[in-house]
Amino acid sequence: MKKLIFGKYLIDPKIFWSQFILLGFFIFLGFLSSLYMEHEGHYITGMNNQIVWGMPHMFAVLLIVIASGVLNIASLSSAFNKVPYKPLAPLSALLALAFLVAGLVILVLDLGRPNRLIVAMTTFNFKSIFAWNIFLYSGFALVLIIYIWTMLDREVNSFSKSVGTFAFAWRIILTTGTGSIFGFLVAREAYATAILAPLFIVMSLSYGTSVYYLTLRAINIKFKTYMSDELIENFRSLTIIFLFAHLYFLFLYHITNLYIAKHINFEIFILSSGGFYTFAFWVGQVFIGIILPLIIIFSNKLSIKSSMKLSSILILIGSFAAMYVIIIGGQAYPLTIFPDHIIIESSFYDNVVHNYIPSIYEFILGLGGVALALIIVLIGITNFYILPTSVISKDTVTSDNTDK
Amino acid sequence: MNNKDLQLSRRGFLVKSFSAISVVYVIPNLFTHAEAAKPLDQKVSSSTKWAMAVDVDKCVSGCTACVDACIEENGLYGFDRPETDSQWIRKIKIQDIKTDKVTTLPMMCQHCENPPCCDVCPTGASFRRIDGIVMVNQHTCIGCRYCMMACPFKARSFVHENLTEQLTNAPRGKGCVESCNFCANRIDHGSDTTACEEACQKEGHQAISFGDLSDSESRVNKALRKKDHKRLRADLMLKQRVTYTGF
Amino acid sequence: MCKFINSALIIIITLNPLSSSAHDGEKHVMKGHSKADMLDQCVEPTEMMQKEHFVFLYHQRDETVIDGIRTKQHSLANCIDCHVSYDEIGEPIPVTDDGQFCQACHVKTAVNIDCFTCHATVPRGKPMKSNKSVILEDQVENILISLEETNHE
Repeated sequence: MKKLIFGKYLIDPKIFWSQFILLGFFIFLGFLSSLYMEHEGHYITGMNNQIVWGMPHMFAVLLIVIASGVLNIASLSSAFNKVPYKPLAPLSALLALAFLVAGLVILVLDLGRPNRLIVAMTTFNFKSIFAWNIFLYSGFALVLIIYIWTMLDREVNSFSKSVGTFAFAWRIILTTGTGSIFGFLVAREAYATAILAPLFIVMSLSYGTSVYYLTLRAINIKFKTYMSDELIENFRSLTIIFLFAHLYFLFLYHITNLYIAKHINFEIFILSSGGFYTFAFWVGQVFIGIILPLIIIFSNKLSIKSSMKLSSILILIGSFAAMYVIIIGGQAYPLTIFPDHIIIESSFYDNVVHNYIPSIYEFILGLGGVALALIIVLIGITNFYILPTSVISKDTVTSDNTDK
Repeated sequence: MNNKDLQLSRRGFLVKSFSAISVVYVIPNLFTHAEAAKPLDQKVSSSTKWAMAVDVDKCVSGCTACVDACIEENGLYGFDRPETDSQWIRKIKIQDIKTDKVTTLPMMCQHCENPPCCDVCPTGASFRRIDGIVMVNQHTCIGCRYCMMACPFKARSFVHENLTEQLTNAPRGKGCVESCNFCANRIDHGSDTTACEEACQKEGHQAISFGDLSDSESRVNKALRKKDHKRLRADLMLKQRVTYTGF
Repeated sequence: MCKFINSALIIIITLNPLSSSAHDGEKHVMKGHSKADMLDQCVEPTEMMQKEHFVFLYHQRDETVIDGIRTKQHSLANCIDCHVSYDEIGEPIPVTDDGQFCQACHVKTAVNIDCFTCHATVPRGKPMKSNKSVILEDQVENILISLEETNHE
């Protein structure tokens, strides 16, 4: 057993402040555009009565899925006792907290009446998976804070394994809840299936690992953290497993839908006749998000580090396409209100595939959310001993928290 | 004071007050009302079961009387942006794929007994009133639009912009979801007809019949007895209170 | 004497501001003030109303929306009908305008109200008539409306 040394993100204050101001600027813009959206109403966005959930929800769901996913690394060290991951656990929990908060902020700022957040927090309809998610999300944030505390404070360090295992269980339930937001919508052909919950879980595993890897690499540009070759090799195999798992569940989801006669028209729409939605599915979600990263990782043309970097970036581009296909594509296909009938005319677009053109405000709100996640990470790693600086042998007696 | 003037005004007063009294007391009594009408201070009860039956055969293509009446009754003015303006009731033209028969019908909130919108609403703002009306409590609606995702009939609209010209009897505003509420306010004031039904009857089409299911003589029950009605998306088992016949 | 009472009745009924309300496109008889200005007391003692009007409103709103109770005493529509002021030509001034009934106090106490993003700030649209239990006040109102109509002819 080796002893860990955790450190703060010690860099030139000029670099810190420039990063801080850059992120702060995006957060400010995001906040402004959300204010504008609330003031004018949602008609200025691309969302309408047909596409009721748009880009803010793509960002929010993606960030929440990632939040659950980045906790992988910490779970490996706590729930599955993988010692090599132990140095990476605190950053993993911090990332999870940051992405969770950012996702929730986007979700809240997109509400028709964000001023009624207090209503959402006090009035519950327990039949609603949304209401359960409010508990799951806020509870997850609390669990993460306690988990980080147990990892950083030596006095409560002995609890860290059990809290970590609890956090692992919680995040599985949380992602199940997130997937079920869509899975429980019986009326829409794209959604009414329980497979969405495990699909969201494998997506979270895959995206979270990529985000973790990229964050660590980004930190490494200015600040040397510990990451052994063995660990990078582990990340590589994790990524491969998760990509295959994602592919498997995606295949299962679509093959299930193809078998359900009620859903077959939607499947044909997404898989072949949906225009941009079909393109986003095959090129974005499947090729860029899964196949290409697999090719890059398996072909040994690039060094392991650059192949991991490139594939992680591609996975995240694919993740965005996946959100687009699931959230927007699922709503774009018109509802089947009259089986056995063709709708010839309707003033409410009952018979057309809806287009969604996001406005700049929604996009900036989403970007602001990402910036918020990153600024929380930035503040966290500069103020707490979270980054793994090195691993030394167990014989050496040193404090865990050496300001070095 | 001029005596002649006063006499005239007294005579006028008598004539006018008699006609006024007849307006108030006599004319309303010429129409029969459902006995179900409840006093204003009483809660609605489950013994009333509001429902609507639509006879598609009687619905006339090109007629939008029900839609117009709904807009007027509830002050649903829009901004000429059809993608974001609210529609509580709309006309749909459909064609049977087997017989090629073309029919038009009004489409609105189907007032399910097992409403998916109420199941998914996180705050319970979307609720089913005990007399069967599915509506949005806009005091607790946070505007998450999850109900719009859940509704199989696309019955709900989100208010996308600031409103200033609402009617006193139909409050509605930006950031909340809204939909047909069977003219709840009107019904609570003793009426037994919705604006759309009234308009349809006035046009002479009588495609829409509204009423209380527990009153065997209500128009809806008479319509249901006359023809076999069916529910839309019966596979979902939502037990809608709005039923259709004729397609 | 009888003649005198008759003419007095006409004057009282036609000019009594309490028994008329604004309707679409119709100028109100009241100019420059509100119905409430003519009254000693609101639907509850004044002090109670100042402190607890929102309690009544909150209570009523839930009863109305969830239970379908439509009594007038504590309804917001009734508040506005009575407290809305009319300008010199008889047009109602929104209660949320500067210095108007709701706004004046709420600016002073810095309490933001959310009622009027949805609720009308002036009486607007057809008044809701109860078909079954016609209230006395409504009857008088109806007589007046028809009287005015016949007068215009």
